[in-house]
Amino acid sequence: MSKTTKQLMKDKIEHSPILEKVDHSDGMTVPPGYFADFAKRMEAQIPERVELAPPQVRTFWQKVRPYAYMAAMFAGIWCMMNMFNLFRPASTIPSTLLAEAFSDDNFMSDYYLDNSYDSEFLDHLYESGYSPSEICEVY
Amino acid sequence: MAEERILEDERLTERLKDPAQSRAAFTEVISRYSRPLYWQIRRMVQNHDDADDLLQNTFMKAWSNLDAFRGDAKLGTWLYKIAINESLTFLEKERKRLNISIDDEARPLIEAIEADPFTDGDEIKRKLREAIATLPEKQRLVFNMRYYDELKYEDISKVL
Repeated sequence: MSKTTKQLMKDKIEHSPILEKVDHSDGMTVPPGYFADFAKRMEAQIPERVELAPPQVRTFWQKVRPYAYMAAMFAGIWCMMNMFNLFRPASTIPSTLLAEAFSDDNFMSDYYLDNSYDSEFLDHLYESGYSPSEICEVY
Repeated sequence: MAEERILEDERLTERLKDPAQSRAAFTEVISRYSRPLYWQIRRMVQNHDDADDLLQNTFMKAWSNLDAFRGDAKLGTWLYKIAINESLTFLEKERKRLNISIDDEARPLIEAIEADPFTDGDEIKRKLREAIATLPEKQRLVFNMRYYDELKYEDISKVL
């Protein structure tokens, strides 16, 4: 019957000539009376235990305070933005008038694309010494 | 014997939880565990003075973290864990301090073994210590716990 790895290892350890001689001893020593002295030293070094105070019970206000502060901050920002809107200069043109004008399809042709350009041009020609009849003769 | 030890540990754990008795119980813990923990640490760092410092740190940490120990693990397992962590952290710091590569980490340990004044002078034991020192840290820990401390594999796995 074949031996298991565990048994083989056990045999190897038990029949190793070195380990047999060593016999679970590492040969290390300590100064005489070391362990008795160590226990005394350690006992002297151990500080007194500090008793922890029982945990404080938080009141309802202490629990909700951070949320209340955050809500107040957002409310403040909202108020500030509204205040800026109040101080902004109002438009010179009433918005209802503009709305009426833009809803009219003929607004652009009637009011914006008028003949002012032609009349201004003719005035300029007269002022410069030309007359429309002279120009027409040339062409 | 093992059952007695377990019962004693359980009794000590209960006393450690009680603030009125914790100090006296911890003094008992020190006298019970200073030897096994010392040897565990000493086999890792190979130097008595370092082992002494690390053993003190282990107990100080255990004392200051007593509230974190709820008794889910065995008292011995918890203390072994602290001691091993302390040893590994110390070795890591030493490696950095001495600027030693991970491949050459056995060198300072072998030097410490050769210069160790606290030995019985047995040459074979010294050679075996040097051979164990060349093992990677985790393997060294397992070997030490299994061979020297004769811990069960189950207990070793809980500590690591």
